[in-house]
Amino acid sequence: MGREQSQDKRQKNIRYFDYSLLVIILFLICFGLVMLYSTSSYNAQLKFGDGTAYLRKQLQATVIGLVVMFAISKIDYRIWKKFWLLAYIGAFGLCTLVLFVGSELNGAKRWLKIGPLSIQPSEIAKLAIIVFLASIISEMPKQMGKFSSLIKVMIMVMPMVIIVASENLSTAIIILGIAVALVFVSSPKYMQFVVMAGVVIVFGAAFIMLESYRAERLKIWLNPEKYEKGFQTLQGLYAIGSGGLFGKGLGASMQKLGFVPEAQNDMIFSIICEELGLFGAICVILLFGILIWRFMVIANNAQDLYGALLVTGVMAHIAIQVILNIAVVTNTIPNTGISLPLISYGGTSVLFLLAEIGLVLSVSRGIRLEQE
Amino acid sequence: MFRNKTYNRRKILLVFTMVMLVLCVLAGRLVYLMVFCSQYYGQKAEDLHERERDIKAARGKILDTNGVVLATNRTVCTISVIHSQIEEPEKIIQVLVKELGMEEAEVRKRVEKVSSIERVKSNVDKETGDRIRACKLSGVKVDEDYKRYYPYDSLASKVLGFTGGDNQGIIGLEVKYEEYLKGTSGKILTLTDARGVEIENAGERRQEPIDGNNLHLSLDYNIQMYCEQAAKRVMEQKSADSVAVIVMNPQNGEIMAMVNLPEFNLNEPFTLVETPKPEQPEETESSDEAESSEGTQETSVVQNAENTQDLLNQMWRNQCINDTYEPGSIFKVITAASALEEGVVTVNDNFFCPGYKMVEDRRIRCAKAGGHGAETFTQGIMNSCNPVFIEVGLRLGVDNFYKYFKQFGLLNKTGIDLPGEAVTIMHKKENVGPVELATISFGQSFQITPIQLATTVSSIINGGERVIPHFGVDIQDTQGNIVKTFTYNTGKQIVSKETSETMRGLLEKVVSEGGGNRAYIEGYSIGGKTATSQTLPRSAHRYISAFMGFAPAENPKVLTLVIVNNPQGTYYGGMIAAPVVKDIYTNILPYLGIERDEVVQEESDSSQ
Repeated sequence: MGREQSQDKRQKNIRYFDYSLLVIILFLICFGLVMLYSTSSYNAQLKFGDGTAYLRKQLQATVIGLVVMFAISKIDYRIWKKFWLLAYIGAFGLCTLVLFVGSELNGAKRWLKIGPLSIQPSEIAKLAIIVFLASIISEMPKQMGKFSSLIKVMIMVMPMVIIVASENLSTAIIILGIAVALVFVSSPKYMQFVVMAGVVIVFGAAFIMLESYRAERLKIWLNPEKYEKGFQTLQGLYAIGSGGLFGKGLGASMQKLGFVPEAQNDMIFSIICEELGLFGAICVILLFGILIWRFMVIANNAQDLYGALLVTGVMAHIAIQVILNIAVVTNTIPNTGISLPLISYGGTSVLFLLAEIGLVLSVSRGIRLEQE
Repeated sequence: MFRNKTYNRRKILLVFTMVMLVLCVLAGRLVYLMVFCSQYYGQKAEDLHERERDIKAARGKILDTNGVVLATNRTVCTISVIHSQIEEPEKIIQVLVKELGMEEAEVRKRVEKVSSIERVKSNVDKETGDRIRACKLSGVKVDEDYKRYYPYDSLASKVLGFTGGDNQGIIGLEVKYEEYLKGTSGKILTLTDARGVEIENAGERRQEPIDGNNLHLSLDYNIQMYCEQAAKRVMEQKSADSVAVIVMNPQNGEIMAMVNLPEFNLNEPFTLVETPKPEQPEETESSDEAESSEGTQETSVVQNAENTQDLLNQMWRNQCINDTYEPGSIFKVITAASALEEGVVTVNDNFFCPGYKMVEDRRIRCAKAGGHGAETFTQGIMNSCNPVFIEVGLRLGVDNFYKYFKQFGLLNKTGIDLPGEAVTIMHKKENVGPVELATISFGQSFQITPIQLATTVSSIINGGERVIPHFGVDIQDTQGNIVKTFTYNTGKQIVSKETSETMRGLLEKVVSEGGGNRAYIEGYSIGGKTATSQTLPRSAHRYISAFMGFAPAENPKVLTLVIVNNPQGTYYGGMIAAPVVKDIYTNILPYLGIERDEVVQEESDSSQ
């Protein structure tokens, strides 16, 4: 479909663009930047002597991300189908590279330094896996009902999961989650997944029991006040609890002053709770809910299965991260490092999330209202 | 290109529904945490953020009977360091060493210690504190604070007492009235970040301190002052070891002055005062004494560390209350009162003094070697004749004597509002034979405190009602409103009014005509009794000269007991202590509004 062609058609067929999604994204980004500034200014002042240090870095990544998002939304998403192998190999290569030449921060090799930029390949891997799986599955929708092709797809994903898991277990879980979501959506069957879920639970339990430090994490989860390592969790709970119904007011958090370590990262939601209260926290959850609802609408109305799967992948990605992050912060599940999409500090994360949104917007352009 | 099938849509909807459900669960979890656990976690977080600092309450003042301030507060500073805020440790150490005059190692230890806040030195002068604050060293905190201050340094030192580092009373009235004086300290609650740095503009919560109440005494600054001067004079003139003076109102037990020379400086209570004996080398008589005291000083230097506390405790002792002594002849007042009350003697009974009296196989001498010859009981008191009192004591008998001791309250404490009152050391009743009885009758072989003696005599001459000696009159708040009035009422009649009147008459004669005539002041009727006692061991030949005098004799308003410990040369109470009472009364009787009474003089003239 050429551009001129589509513009000619505008008179007859109204071309769709999901403005509500765009508005929600822009709102979330702005809200995220405000909260990021609020939570990070103290740490930034201490570390860099400049309260806006984190904000400026995030702002740069966001601006680039928005440009990328608009660019991608203008490009027909079907083009990416051709890049499935490149995306997979490229992301796999970067994830391998980071194991050898990655720079360390807080004891984990997760960053690749390219000149002044430092990127996190595991964030790229998420986008790559969405593009990769959507391409593969949309080419063989008939076979997806078979258990063997299901296994085949999972085996293809495994190398990526394993290479990411070696440094960053949380991201590996997200990648696996995206893969499962895509396979689930593309398959007409249900039972297989119930069985698979059972198997995963059994293996998961064994996995936890085998390694003593994981069992310890469980104990900390159940009783954060009794363990020294429960400190972060506990501080998060203090922050959430002291928020109350309407919070202490924007910028008035006490826990961000070094009590919650690195408050602008994974624990940012606890500070949102403290400053904006239950009201603000529910609003944030609601925003993500609306975002995910828009994804569902776009996925269900996508022109083709490829588009639907792309959107489903993005939806799974954001939904999993939001759920896991809030669950960790509220100590609903054991602690694991997962950031809150579009709000937590992290340039690579926001850049690639916006690229994913660009993909979704591009898919939304393909919707023809006349069809409905 | 494959279409998006219906089952794909249904599954996407299913995924969406599951996500929404999970989000709802998480929202529910948030409601639980932020509504139901809010108080618990909020409190814990607050405890974590808040740092508490005490604000000392100003200790109540101590005022004399006229409102003269005897103890008050002065602003001083406490210097502390906050480890996490220190930027230039070396400069801080250097400044603190210079300003506080502390050892560098000591300051370094405090500055380098990893703690949220470390006190370096308290009770620093305000000027020094201001200078340190002016250096604007980050991490150094200068807190203002109160320190006890005594405007008259050593005045009534052993009565008032002093306070320690935490402004708590250590001795004297400061201890006894601690609960009224100390007040309630306040708090400053400040918010800090995780490093313990206080957050600016966070608005500190203050809990204001409640200042202590003022203690209003019966002690009179002027009388105390006169008495200290008079006591100092006699101490210097007679090279005495110590002099004690008690001036009290015999009617209600209010103490107007209590002198314990040598006093010490209340503003520097931990500085040892060398026993002031300025003319030691010139005094030939006391040369032995001087040598031995020099010896003690040398040893005190050697064993400084061990002895300092003992010496300080010695210096802080209030001998009127904490120490007992043999009262000697003043005790004859008690013997006489008992005998008169029991009716075993009348004022006109006749006695004969050959200069001694045989009790069992012991020959007990009278002060006058040749004897007083024939005399009445009145004359016996005037002459302070031992054989007369031995006779009276024997007539009274052990049981009666002890009955009166008990009745007079002599065997208990007086209940004075000062800590550490000593108790009477008396023979066990079953061990008292005639010899002991004889010695007790004239005030030897047992020990009581000066305050017990003064109180008992007061009670005998005031009409017979036992009083409780005291300083505290009432407690006033900072505005001067009375918060609490102390009452001291025993309501115990220890002798009959008649006996009391007789005793007053007898004792008046002691001054106007007898051994206490050196206390006589023209125009005043003064009652009194002398005493001279020898301290143990007798071989040391150390004496205590004492005199008890009250005025006006008919209706006593003031009673004074002067005790001069180890005067050199003459040691008779009538010679040494009586003039001191005269000296004091010459000054304070007009001050107390007790006018010279011509009629009284005529009366005493007529009785001569």
